[in-house]
Amino acid sequence: PDMIQKCWWLAFLMHVFIIGFQALDCDFLNVNLNRVIRKNMKLLRNVSHSFPIECLREIKDFELPQEILSHSQMEKRDIKEAWYEISTQAFCIFMGHAFQTTWEETHLTQIQNGLYEQVAYLEQCLMEDIHETKEEEMKYSGTGRFLLNNLELRKYFYRMNNFLEDKKYSYCAREIVRVEITRCFSYFYRFTAFLRRR
Amino acid sequence: MNNWIQLPGCQYVADTECTFSFLKLNVLDEITLRIRAERGNSTSAWYIVDSFIPFLKAQIGPPEVHLEAEDKAVKINISPPGKQMWSMDRSRFIYSVVIWENSARTEERTETVYPRDMIYKLSPETTYCLKVRAELPLQKKVGVYSAVHCVNTTAENKLPPPENIEVDAANQNYVLKWDYAFANVTFQAQWLYGYLKQFPEDHSNKWKQIPGCVHVRTTQCVFPQRAFPDRVYFLRVQASDGNSTSLWSEEKEFRSEAQTVILPPVLNVKTTSHALHAYVGAGPVDLHRPLIYEIRFWENASSAESRILQEQTDFTFPNLKPLTVYCFKARAHLLGEKWNQSSDFSDVVCEKTKPGATSRTWLVAGICVLVVSVPVAVYIVKGLLRCLNYVFFPSPKPPSSIDEYFSEQPLKNLLLSPSEERTERCFIIEDVRSMTVLEEAKGTGGDLRAYHSQASRDSGHYSNEDESSGGKTSEGSVQEESG
Repeated sequence: PDMIQKCWWLAFLMHVFIIGFQALDCDFLNVNLNRVIRKNMKLLRNVSHSFPIECLREIKDFELPQEILSHSQMEKRDIKEAWYEISTQAFCIFMGHAFQTTWEETHLTQIQNGLYEQVAYLEQCLMEDIHETKEEEMKYSGTGRFLLNNLELRKYFYRMNNFLEDKKYSYCAREIVRVEITRCFSYFYRFTAFLRRR
Repeated sequence: MNNWIQLPGCQYVADTECTFSFLKLNVLDEITLRIRAERGNSTSAWYIVDSFIPFLKAQIGPPEVHLEAEDKAVKINISPPGKQMWSMDRSRFIYSVVIWENSARTEERTETVYPRDMIYKLSPETTYCLKVRAELPLQKKVGVYSAVHCVNTTAENKLPPPENIEVDAANQNYVLKWDYAFANVTFQAQWLYGYLKQFPEDHSNKWKQIPGCVHVRTTQCVFPQRAFPDRVYFLRVQASDGNSTSLWSEEKEFRSEAQTVILPPVLNVKTTSHALHAYVGAGPVDLHRPLIYEIRFWENASSAESRILQEQTDFTFPNLKPLTVYCFKARAHLLGEKWNQSSDFSDVVCEKTKPGATSRTWLVAGICVLVVSVPVAVYIVKGLLRCLNYVFFPSPKPPSSIDEYFSEQPLKNLLLSPSEERTERCFIIEDVRSMTVLEEAKGTGGDLRAYHSQASRDSGHYSNEDESSGGKTSEGSVQEESG
């Protein structure tokens, strides 16, 4: 038993050692991000009272890339990047001209501010990792870094954007996209909750 | 892969390169290109280019720039490059400007600007030139510089804009302060949501008045904190003397959560037999946001610190060494966009853990031992019983070594299984006169054939099935087989 305790202690200390090396800022990510995402999901759900029945006919499957969620080997950084992608894309959609008239201004600014907050947290955390890499690594040629997971997410949002355009930003199209984004957040939120428990 | 599309702009090209746009193509999908040479009616074979995803291969082009001079500042208006390629990244570009005085190229200055921004700290009536490039730092992509644009700054306006804007917190209010050289002017202050600056669209109509800061005569104004819940804002001030208004001051970024002071929390530590508990009491701060509490702890002897961060005020430390002194200190963090808002550490509290943990370990160990030992004991007892049984109640079965000596079945049967019914194979001899066929059955276990006879006396049919079903005895004389 004493030996076992010693081993546990060592593992614990190592874990703390690793945490200590990360910036204090990113440690807040889990606690902070959860709170902000929960708040945003609630806002998005409640901004419309109920989904209009007449829009059910126009519902489309945007093919949320669920295979991303089945990876058990996702690193913390990859998750942050995935969250960054969906947060910025969602923010972009809700900042669009068409959405300016959808909801009351107070609701709209709450959603916009909330999503901006989400994006800003993730950006700050990811930017710190970037600054550690040298300037020379920034090349002119397009060999940037873009995770393939994020490419799938981007295509998913591209389908939503296309849908909005095709339907000429009709009320139904906007509602359908709002519900889809809320659903996307929920899936990802549950996924990161699972990882946090590890 | 069979529906190849002609690429407009790359048909009948005499040069060895051509330019095309992606039109309606989805830049996120993988595409393949193929090229061939043609002369008259003859064509070469197709050369197929390795397939690629345009979005991943693309380079950021030069942005469009418009400049306007405003006194000692230059208003810059940047249109993001690649409307189709970077359509989903439009608001994520970071623009880097290199600006220099036209006459003195050596004094270059590099600044990061928003798509609609002002470049300050310039001299009036001077020609400045600049170039801009767009970057996507998280994708590690840096764009190409735009063409050089030049602009002349104008003479200074009669009424200069206010300078040195500062925001302080006092009680439940914010105090906005600035400097101004002249008297007999009134001021007004406006605010804007911070995120709007990242979008290349015109947001000039989104500025709003700050309550309590309209037509003020002093170089400061006060407004309540709750008017600006924790987010990022920009503030600007303008002077007016009745006839004319000055230009707007420099836009000051204002992070409302950064102004509040957080007091260190009160820390209480209690030991129980199983673990150690810590309770944190927040100081009296009126905030719109919850705090995160951090507890750092270490063994009194060592200096290696560990820490726990959580939103709840109750902390539990389960896996600590028993009978050791641990020391704790706590502090609170305000959840905000810039999360370096922390209180100071509370006073250090030290506690000694109880020995409860060891006895629990022994208990667990004891259970483990029991679980393992019970089957072992059962096994031993069984073995013993077997032994006893053997000694006092021998089994009627003979030892297996007998098999060696008595391999033949009948003898074996005789000796070893007296209780078994002995069956014998028999065959019937019939009246010679009527017998058509008489055949002898072969030895033990041999094939026995069915006899068919036309005899009258013994009219039964006798047949023996295979060995396994045993024999049927019948009437008539029976002759034992001779071996």
